[in-house]
Amino acid sequence: MLSLYTFILLIFGLAVVLDAKSSSGNSVLVILDPARRPDYSIFFDGLQEKGYDLTFRAPKDETPVLIQDDIPSFAHVVFFESDTKHFAKDITPQTLVELLSGKTNLLIALSQKQNLLTSFAPEFSLILPPPGSSLLSYFPERKENNSVVPIEVPSSSNIISAGTAPVWFSGVPFVLGNNPLIFPILNAPAESFAADAEGITPDALADAAEKGGEGLWAGSQLAVAAGFQTLGNARVAWLGGVELFSNEFAKKEISKGVKSGNQQAAADIAAWTFQESLVLRIDSTTHHLVNTSVPKEHYTINDVVEYIAQISRFNPNKGKWEPYSGINDLQLEFTMLDPHIRTALPPVPGSPGKYAVTLRVPDRHGVFKFVINHKRKGWTYLQSSTTVPVVPPRHDGYPRFLSAAWPYYAGAISTSLGFFVFSALYLAGDARETNLRKAKGAKAQ
Amino acid sequence: MSTAYPLPTNLSKTTVANTASLLRIVALGLISAAAIASRLFAVINFESIIHEFDPWFNYRATRVLAAKGFYEFWNWFDPTAWYPLGRVVGGTVYPGLMATSGVIYNFLHAFNLPVDIRNICVLLAPGFSALTAWATYMFTKEMKDESAGLLAAAFIGIVPGYISRSVAGSYDNEAIAIFLLMFTFYCWIKALKTGSALFGTLAAVFYFYMVAAWGGYAFITNMIPVHALALMLMGRFSSRLYVAYCSWYAIGTLSSMQVPFVGFQPVRTSEHMGALGVFGLLQIVAFAQLARSHLSSKQFQNLLTVAVIVMGVVGTFGFIALTYMGWIAPWTGRFYSLWDTGYAKKYIPIIASVSEHQPTAWPSFFMDLQFLIFLFPAGVVLCFRELRDEHVFVIIYAVVASYFAGVMVRLMLTLTPVVCVASAVAFSSLMDTYLDPTQPEAEGESRPAEVDASAASNGSTASTASKKEKEKAKKPAAGGALSDIVAATSSSKKSKGVWGLDTRLVVIAHSLLMLGFFVFHCTWVTSSAYSSPSVVLASTNADGSQHIIDDFREAYYWLRQNTAEDAVVMSWWDYGYQIAGMADRPTLVDNNTWNNTHIATVGKAMSSSEEVAYPILRKHDVDYVLVIFGGLLGYSGDDINKFLWMVRIAQGVWPDEIQEPNYFTPQGEYRVDDRASSAMRNSLMYKMSYYRFAELFGGGQAVDRVRQQTMPKTGPTLDYLDEAFTSENWIVRIYQVRKEDDLGRDLKSANAFAQGKKRKRTKPVSKRRAITV
Repeated sequence: MLSLYTFILLIFGLAVVLDAKSSSGNSVLVILDPARRPDYSIFFDGLQEKGYDLTFRAPKDETPVLIQDDIPSFAHVVFFESDTKHFAKDITPQTLVELLSGKTNLLIALSQKQNLLTSFAPEFSLILPPPGSSLLSYFPERKENNSVVPIEVPSSSNIISAGTAPVWFSGVPFVLGNNPLIFPILNAPAESFAADAEGITPDALADAAEKGGEGLWAGSQLAVAAGFQTLGNARVAWLGGVELFSNEFAKKEISKGVKSGNQQAAADIAAWTFQESLVLRIDSTTHHLVNTSVPKEHYTINDVVEYIAQISRFNPNKGKWEPYSGINDLQLEFTMLDPHIRTALPPVPGSPGKYAVTLRVPDRHGVFKFVINHKRKGWTYLQSSTTVPVVPPRHDGYPRFLSAAWPYYAGAISTSLGFFVFSALYLAGDARETNLRKAKGAKAQ
Repeated sequence: MSTAYPLPTNLSKTTVANTASLLRIVALGLISAAAIASRLFAVINFESIIHEFDPWFNYRATRVLAAKGFYEFWNWFDPTAWYPLGRVVGGTVYPGLMATSGVIYNFLHAFNLPVDIRNICVLLAPGFSALTAWATYMFTKEMKDESAGLLAAAFIGIVPGYISRSVAGSYDNEAIAIFLLMFTFYCWIKALKTGSALFGTLAAVFYFYMVAAWGGYAFITNMIPVHALALMLMGRFSSRLYVAYCSWYAIGTLSSMQVPFVGFQPVRTSEHMGALGVFGLLQIVAFAQLARSHLSSKQFQNLLTVAVIVMGVVGTFGFIALTYMGWIAPWTGRFYSLWDTGYAKKYIPIIASVSEHQPTAWPSFFMDLQFLIFLFPAGVVLCFRELRDEHVFVIIYAVVASYFAGVMVRLMLTLTPVVCVASAVAFSSLMDTYLDPTQPEAEGESRPAEVDASAASNGSTASTASKKEKEKAKKPAAGGALSDIVAATSSSKKSKGVWGLDTRLVVIAHSLLMLGFFVFHCTWVTSSAYSSPSVVLASTNADGSQHIIDDFREAYYWLRQNTAEDAVVMSWWDYGYQIAGMADRPTLVDNNTWNNTHIATVGKAMSSSEEVAYPILRKHDVDYVLVIFGGLLGYSGDDINKFLWMVRIAQGVWPDEIQEPNYFTPQGEYRVDDRASSAMRNSLMYKMSYYRFAELFGGGQAVDRVRQQTMPKTGPTLDYLDEAFTSENWIVRIYQVRKEDDLGRDLKSANAFAQGKKRKRTKPVSKRRAITV
């Protein structure tokens, strides 16, 4: 029995070692026509090398299913087959959203044709150009087709590693709507525009230009790759074209002697999507009175409380969570309906991963919450809420002796004294009177 | 002396006295038993359960007190009430009731009697009703004699006006407050009669208990000063009054300030100023008496005039100035609504929305008091005959309580004791007259009435002789009764009476019949009207058997067992205490209606559309919304019928967003069918009430049985809430508030997407704007 137990442990231990560098699982489903699989072998080999477990499925295959018994079957889904018009029954926009709520990550490549993604993309506030459009650019002058566009990797990007050479792109650009959860990974070059393959401006562009909205499907406000992180921290990467990941573009030189950055960019985008990079988590939060260490069930108003959060970041190289002190703009709110206190939650120097702040509880009783709500583009959202009632002082928690109450103390003392004196005098006087009366009586006698 | 019937002559006076006192004890014991027994209908017909709404909070608080002790209760902060504001229970509660139960609980447990705290709570009210009967006996004894006392005790024991608030399970402050009220009054009368500081102190102690037990203590706070003032105005100032009032006021006020909920109110609010004013006046009058005994009358006259003018001016201006400076709180809204019955509806809808704050309907006087309501004026008039100090008290009490009972249904409770006392005085006078065996002398020969030894009219020392006018007093004509008083006071020399047994028997038999009917009436009203726990409803099957409708507990237990322990439940405030008590979940608002804005927030959420309500729900961390819907069963106390109050209360805070007229049809009707206004149909309350209601009728005509209206075939749809639970008879419906959409969409479009509806194609908006100027 024991040996079986150790064996199971061993297997799990091995699994951890063999695990991919993702923080959320290593099973990947790739929806792609088998015939086109070799075109992307560099990308797929790269994934497999990292330890991902790839499963391929043709778009019309019924198996393996995406969702079994309401539980997503794979940790990540790569959706490269977008030229197909018809898909198997279980691949619908609705099931893809369901996958996301089941914390499955999606890597989706768009195509120029109209298919299920056309109705799926708007849910992410992605605005697609009319079907058949693609990104064109005449600059810089080059031998290639105008629809194959070199794109500079923005230096500020935290998803694609710095120093990556420009990448080749071919496919559909799109505009990002006003959903705050979506952000561009790669923008189109400023000189580029969307048009159909022949280079004739589509009606939409013309219409829009006529209405005064000059150059809507043009310029750097177009994106060719975008990231989307759901509130549940599932990640979706939208790509304008699947060619970005192809072997052809990966090998293609961007300028003489310089290989394109496609391979690196593809790996980085996949790493982000598969929860490898920019993954954070709150390990624990505690709170306690200053100078003590045990959290209290409730605090009294005006108590001074220390709040501590322990935050880790996933290190994909080691496949391990490591304490992370790199967040400098973390905030803590102490909220009841509205934040009563909003303060910075700075990292504690010297103790990695520890963020702490000391605050004075407001002079207001009620059910308060310590709230961390840290949303930064690309990074995992950090959300934590700890409920703590704040109570008024106990009946014996007030000061017993108030200097302001001296008039009352004086009144009470003087009345007591007066009563004492009065009683004494009264009793004594009574005695004398009776004595007198006695004396009188004696005299009379 | 001739007697109407033979009397035993060989009895010694002590035997008679002992027998009479034994009979009194037995009678009081039986009255107590009857008082307790008639309150047990609720337990027998249903079960040992806490009733209604407020008792559930009292019960919960008592459990805390019993489990954790008094100091924990005192410092109890309840984070689940008024989420997220919380409630400082120790400082916002009248702890007398819970403390009483806690003492009984600990007492019984000290004797190793493991009685469940619930049973103590359930049976506390019947137990105290027996004490009330005793207190009323003592009080009435001071008014007339022991026989009247026994009658009053019997009346108060079974009169429905008091039973309505004290059946088993009705664990509310009133359960013990009426006993305290009567006993405080008794002590006051006793103190006044004897001039004893001991009884004055006793009155103060019981006054303190009353303050700790019920907000209605203000009634005592004003009754006793009014009595004292009336006595002074009648020129009846005496050192007895001075001692009684001063000892009561000083000790009573100081001790009442020890109750945290009352605090400094006795010296800071207008409601308590009368007592303070009379206290001051008494000192002045006492000083004037002293001065008079030391000064010549001329000097005294001058002094008096100047002093009265100066003090009147200073007092009035002082009061006004203090009120303006904010040292004295002006009258509260609840107080104004006692004088102007339309006030509350206009300015404080939250008070007007409570059904027991409505003016009393005429039939309920008869329902609650039956024939006592006819005897009551006769008793009051009889008080004028002697008009001792204590009779003045009853007269004032009768006038004030009658007025208040007419203003508010719930104040019927304060009227009931005085009705019982006055009726008992009247009835026992009648009995005295007709049971008195002495026959009048044939001629107008003046002879003093002997103290009669018969057990029936024991010990009526004062005036047994002249009571023949009772046969006329039975006619309710006030003029006749008044002339009788005149006759009685002027011609007390002439002996009057009743001859023979036949007339006596007719009147006595008739009176006994009335008593019998009274007992039947009380039993019937108690069993049929006042014994329903309202948590459990009863209906009758076709074959006459009882059918229990237990939807409330079904739903509350569902909440208790199927939701997270910290899941916040929003409902209209009526159900707050029950949810806290039975489901043990945090609630947004409850029956302790101290925060109008918070209630208005719930009213706003209920009466606005889903899109407007959703942010409110999210802000308050609401997980579940509970509504009461009676349309299927015909349960008329449901939320749709209360809905206009929610609208009104919300309108009071957000007059721009919620307007009452929007919820009526253009013709001004309150409708829920397909002619309902759009504000009505889009309101969250309407949607939650009628969600999937039409489906229940399988394509047939869906009829709301409460409002007798035919519902449209397609019911409302919900995007922001999910139906979580609906009880067997659809009385309670619980909805779960949806989480925000994972993709950051609004839930309406997310819902549309999930149902496969295509979204309209969007085009990018231009970020550059043409310069237009």
